[in-house]
Amino acid sequence: MPFKRFDQNRPFLTLALVALAWLLIPTAVKSWGRASFFELTAPVTLAVSRVRDLQDFWALRLRSKTELIEAGRDLARLNSSYELAVQQNLELQAEIARLEGVLRLPSYTEYRYEHARVARRDFSGWWQRIVIRKGRNFGIPVGAPVVFTGGVVGRVTEVHATTSIVELITSQTVKVAGVVEGDTRPLSFQGGVNPTFAPPTGIVEFVPLDIIVGPNSPKRLVTSGFGGVFPPGLTLGTIVRVEPGSDGLFKSGTVRLDERLGSLTEVTVLVPVGQP
Amino acid sequence: MRRVLTLFAAQLVLWTLVTTLNHALTEWRVYLFPGALYVAFAALLQPRRAGLAVALLGGLVCDATTPVAFGTHALLFAAAHLILFHLRDRLPKEDNLGLVIVVLFANLALFLVFSLGQIRSSPSPAAVWPRLIADLACTQVFLALVTPWFFALQAQALGLARVPREQGA
Repeated sequence: MPFKRFDQNRPFLTLALVALAWLLIPTAVKSWGRASFFELTAPVTLAVSRVRDLQDFWALRLRSKTELIEAGRDLARLNSSYELAVQQNLELQAEIARLEGVLRLPSYTEYRYEHARVARRDFSGWWQRIVIRKGRNFGIPVGAPVVFTGGVVGRVTEVHATTSIVELITSQTVKVAGVVEGDTRPLSFQGGVNPTFAPPTGIVEFVPLDIIVGPNSPKRLVTSGFGGVFPPGLTLGTIVRVEPGSDGLFKSGTVRLDERLGSLTEVTVLVPVGQP
Repeated sequence: MRRVLTLFAAQLVLWTLVTTLNHALTEWRVYLFPGALYVAFAALLQPRRAGLAVALLGGLVCDATTPVAFGTHALLFAAAHLILFHLRDRLPKEDNLGLVIVVLFANLALFLVFSLGQIRSSPSPAAVWPRLIADLACTQVFLALVTPWFFALQAQALGLARVPREQGA
């Protein structure tokens, strides 16, 4: 009878042994195992991403020449306006450098722009992150900020041989210091809930009481530059609602994030110049 | 060994399919978590040791590609495997409907346990549940559609690798 009872509980004993063995494995071995299994799947991720690109290429080949001509014309118009902006930008940068010299201010961190294709998007209720097709082979460092045309995407959390993982600002674990556009007082932004079939949102806290936000007067939230990760002035989202906090000293509210974060195909990693 | 490698290759096919689908579904903020599919075939139709090895390998692949403590999926899948294996003589496994029902219940349990483990790090856990329930509903629909195909794929793969399909413990 005792043997039969032992036989019935054998699966659970096996589980306990597996769990115990796992706990006894050194952390270094686990880290090596994690990296090995990730690199095992990386070629699959990259191959699928390239097949997707090829699919898009052939889909675009079906477009008519008229559409191509129209797109070229629109692009030429955009380029001319961007050229003007580049000239103004150069003048402003020279002015900043002159003022930094006169006032002996520390200069802003300079960045190298590394454009990367998105190999995989992974947005669950628990985490939101993307895998990009550049890693150690392009000198991407851990912690580098990642941006796109709509503003901040997130920051690099893991770097592998040919891929990197970017945690998005929609993740609940991400916190960034921001300011309301035109204001200098810092406030705290944190990723929020990402409901199904609805745009992503974030939470903003420590909003000064004199900042008024309503449905008809939303405020743009930008990075403050504090903390050293994100350069100042990058768009985080739009504050659409604020209400007084429980302490009565600050307000807290909701930030609407860019819907395009859910369909990213290309991002730019800001690699601080001077870092390996 | 050949059995384990064959089933692991099938799991990699499943992982590729699911990550590709999740990539496409990000625009609608839907996420599929078909954890039970990594476990069910091996637990219901394969020897215990080989099945456990396959469940652990599948779990480690999921662990390496998600931001969870390395070993979370592996131990969860191992637990699911051992429970299913323990009950397999009493579970229906001859027809597709029975298999689908077993997979749906196993996935429900895995999803809830995994969610309870992950939700601790959320600043507002209650607000996350509607999203998780929507994801679970979509996953269960996906599983109902895909389970017969994935079981057939694994059986065919074992046949191609000349491994006997069903064995006792």
